[in-house]
Amino acid sequence: MSNTATNGQPSSAAPVPTRTVTFRIKRCDGPGQPTRWEDFKVPVVPSSNVISCLNWIAEHPVTASGQQTTPVVWDCSCLEEVCGACTMVINGKARQSCSCLIDQEAPREGDVITLEPMSKFPVVRDLWVDRQRLFKGLEKIKAWVPIDGTYNLGAGPKEEPDDQQMRYTLSTCMSCGCCLEACPQYHKEEQEADWENAFVGAAVLSQARLFNAHPNGKVLEGERLDALLGVGGVNDCGNAQNCVKVCPKEIPLTESIAAIGRAATVHAIGRFFRGK
Amino acid sequence: MSGEQTFFERNYFLLRRLHSLSGIVPIGMFLIMHLTTNSSVVWGAINSRELHDTAMDRGVATFQHEVSFINNLPLLLLIEIFGLWLPIAFHAIFGVYFAMSGSNNVARYAYQGNKRYALQRLTGYVGFVFILYHVATLRWGWSWLTPGGTQWSHYFASSTLAAALKGSGGEWSFAGVIVSLGYFVGVTSLVFHFANGLWTAAITWGLTVSEKSQQQWGRVCAALGAGVMLAGWSALFGFVFLVDHDRAVAVEEQMVVEKYGPEYLEKLREKYDLEPEMQASAIRDAADRPYPGPAPKLDD
Repeated sequence: MSNTATNGQPSSAAPVPTRTVTFRIKRCDGPGQPTRWEDFKVPVVPSSNVISCLNWIAEHPVTASGQQTTPVVWDCSCLEEVCGACTMVINGKARQSCSCLIDQEAPREGDVITLEPMSKFPVVRDLWVDRQRLFKGLEKIKAWVPIDGTYNLGAGPKEEPDDQQMRYTLSTCMSCGCCLEACPQYHKEEQEADWENAFVGAAVLSQARLFNAHPNGKVLEGERLDALLGVGGVNDCGNAQNCVKVCPKEIPLTESIAAIGRAATVHAIGRFFRGK
Repeated sequence: MSGEQTFFERNYFLLRRLHSLSGIVPIGMFLIMHLTTNSSVVWGAINSRELHDTAMDRGVATFQHEVSFINNLPLLLLIEIFGLWLPIAFHAIFGVYFAMSGSNNVARYAYQGNKRYALQRLTGYVGFVFILYHVATLRWGWSWLTPGGTQWSHYFASSTLAAALKGSGGEWSFAGVIVSLGYFVGVTSLVFHFANGLWTAAITWGLTVSEKSQQQWGRVCAALGAGVMLAGWSALFGFVFLVDHDRAVAVEEQMVVEKYGPEYLEKLREKYDLEPEMQASAIRDAADRPYPGPAPKLDD
């Protein structure tokens, strides 16, 4: 609170009023290392976000009790809530740290903000987690439109605006992992060998719906559904519906899960009567 | 996929969908019929064409008719085994296995849907234990587990049920209070489990895709659940608080005489007298007599 005095001269260089917010951060030096909590007293200016505060801590790696420590490690990229890289558990809820404004999350002097890495992914270091399993899930369901080939496929099919709108919403998924962090059916699996039979989660199911709804992408619909009929597929959803509540992009994830459930029902019955 | 998949993995989708289906048909349908039948002890008292003096006598007679009808169904044992016991065992065993793949994070994410998710699993466990106790005591005759050692008899449906819920002779015992409360918890759990399961099954099978359709179907399930809950609670209330044991025995004996003749009633009485409930009351009677009263007579 030392910079609050004004010199009476309106100027763009006038000191910005600051206050102090305590960051309580769950630290971990690397995979398999023990975790510990460290507090940092961070001076915040209006419109600060968690990332800018983490930047300040990186410059001043001293805990609230005055102990020198290592800079806190985190992951981020776009800083505008479209890449999903900076997702962490802030005050108990998974969200992006770039769009978490201190004015809203900790509006009073001396408020505490707790930062933890997401609990469903292996921790690389501090707040940085490895979301590789999520991307393996996207590979498993072939979350792409196959257009590579030996001849020109010509112009794409005409699009209905309604379909386009629906797909646009689904396409805003940034694989951030919030839905998985909140899901009671999704558990941390450290070993890649265990990912095959572990629940793929809402994000992957929703992407399967997105690419099945694509006029060219739907040629792989059967393969996507085959991958989702097995252990770890759509049946592992327990309908707690936390995913749709925590999704920062407000994607109708529960509708996607039901849509995949419907497609799986039709696909499985069809497969039974086709005999293959 | 490799060829090393287990039977469980190969048929995972089928098993999950059979698990979902079995909860509705036959188990859910049976639950509705069972609780409706049981509530006839109350609705029979309110609106019955039975000719008896008091309303509760008419209720007892209505329930007795329903029970007798069911016990005269052809191939009843096969219906029980393949329509009830095996589906319930399948649903319960797989249900416990699937529920073990879940976790509880209601403390952190206290959304209504998450609470229902947690309750669905909890009521499943409670319901499984309750059904085991219920079927073992009242159908398989494990009368050593009932308060007062009552053996349920389909000829004396109301009176023996009241005794199995409260205690020997329909008199309250401490164990009877526990058992009656257990029935309340068990029935309530199972009705919730059914109604909520009906709601999630529509998502699982893909019937309700949009959020709005899920909400609408949710209201239908809630209404159905409330109706079934009312039937279950009224039945339990009727057997625990309204049925008078001795009057019920009189009504039921009269119905046995009308249907099978007085000789048959004598036969049933002989069998009934040998039941543990009678032995238990013989012990109780002896204990009530002043010392050195005669030793209790126990039939063997």
